[in-house]
Amino acid sequence: MYTLFLDTHSDKIIIVLFKEKNILVKKEVETQHNHSITTMPILESVLKEAKIEVEELDQILVVNGPGSFTGVRLGVTIAKTLAFTLNIPIRTLSSLLIKAVSFEHDDVTIVEREKNGVFLGTFNKKNELVKEYHYLANSEFQNEEQMVEKVVIDYEKVLIFAQSLESISPHAVNPLYVKKIEVQK
Amino acid sequence: MKDVYILAIESSCDETSIAIVKNGNTVESFTVLTQMDTHANFGGVVPEIASRMHTENITMVLEETLQKSSIRIEEIDAIAVTYAPGLLGSLLVGIEFAKVLSLVYKKPLIAVNHTIGHIYANALENKLTFPLLALVVSGGHTDLILMEEDYNFKILGSTMDDAIGECFDKVARILGLKYPGGPNVEKLAKIGEPTYALPKPVNDSSYNFSFSGLKSHIINLVHNESQRGNEIRKADLACSFQVTAVNELTRKVEIALKNENVSQLIVAGGVAASGYLREEIKKVADKYQVPLSIPSMKYCTDNAAMIGAAAYPLFLQGKYADFSLNAKSNASIVSE
Repeated sequence: MYTLFLDTHSDKIIIVLFKEKNILVKKEVETQHNHSITTMPILESVLKEAKIEVEELDQILVVNGPGSFTGVRLGVTIAKTLAFTLNIPIRTLSSLLIKAVSFEHDDVTIVEREKNGVFLGTFNKKNELVKEYHYLANSEFQNEEQMVEKVVIDYEKVLIFAQSLESISPHAVNPLYVKKIEVQK
Repeated sequence: MKDVYILAIESSCDETSIAIVKNGNTVESFTVLTQMDTHANFGGVVPEIASRMHTENITMVLEETLQKSSIRIEEIDAIAVTYAPGLLGSLLVGIEFAKVLSLVYKKPLIAVNHTIGHIYANALENKLTFPLLALVVSGGHTDLILMEEDYNFKILGSTMDDAIGECFDKVARILGLKYPGGPNVEKLAKIGEPTYALPKPVNDSSYNFSFSGLKSHIINLVHNESQRGNEIRKADLACSFQVTAVNELTRKVEIALKNENVSQLIVAGGVAASGYLREEIKKVADKYQVPLSIPSMKYCTDNAAMIGAAAYPLFLQGKYADFSLNAKSNASIVSE
């Protein structure tokens, strides 16, 4: 059983290939707004290193934001197209949720930073979202004690948690933008 | 020779389109999902919203295209995608989607220039006969191009400022018409007469075009009349503008037909959907007895079938792209 995890929501592209519950190959690459040039070549190299063909993948996990609009869109497009063409299950996790599931906590507000502001989401002990995701500009944001920003992602925990989520139709997989754009205001 | 099937993807602006094209000239299956109604709410295409809608819809557009096709995706010979020019965010969705299809089905990836796609839209209904003269007219282009053979483009002349489609859109805005501007100007012009005397854009014998002077003249005219409290006869102004702008196109085409050795005249790009332009160009082609090709309406606006047609010569030459392919907002056709 092979699981592909894809995260392109920030300037760091992360692709992890699991065999059963263990990490088989993991690649992290910093890009300077070059997601398009780098993401698919990294995916290709991950498969090559694992010596598997793309059609051997059994399921897809994708971080669907919030984060860089273009970055997230790219990862989500790749992930949903893989799931649709290979006819395999796909599950989405937010950039805040993968932080929350990586450590033990009681109620906690996770902070995900971007250039001009922060995305916030509050989770309970079981990593259920208790307060909707929202965005604050840097000028509106004040760091509070129960907030956590820096988390080392534990990908094996992310995989275990993802199995508790419902898989969704590839057509319905979409980015989580959270931040409003000018014309929506 | 075995038939060649290319699955083509177009997402450079506000249409998500996928087509399967046989041998660069026959459309097997074809889907276009337009976002026009959404963008009409904002008075024009909002790039971020366009990109979002491509991501939302692209796998469904593929599913529909495959359902309509007698060809299975495994039988496809190559995957083609528009990589430039256009809105970066929109192009990227199509490009990454195409790369995944290329990876999963192990088919070569072909990067196609959107403008060249418009030219090759003509190959879907007529055989291209070289040397040909192409008039490319769209929101981003006003070019007269001479082609000696496939993918050989010699630009005789271009616009020095606004593209013709851009000019139609701006005049539409001045006249208070809704998006999309071009078709609405034409609709209004139908009930008007060319009674306004407008300056000829570039009254010379070069192949270049200029439309900003015409546009400025109309802005000033509307402004001055409203200052004086005079009503603008909108339909007459739309008609006068259309006649003057299109006349400039046909005049330059006529000079080229006189001077160059041309076996076929083709028109390409979104503005080729203009009924008035089609009539006027036909008159010129008839006068010089040059066979004329203008794509039918569905292949004038942005569509993937034309991308499949333009990819075919590249497939025959083995010009493939790799997975580092990136989108470009601008790209000259001469370097292709």
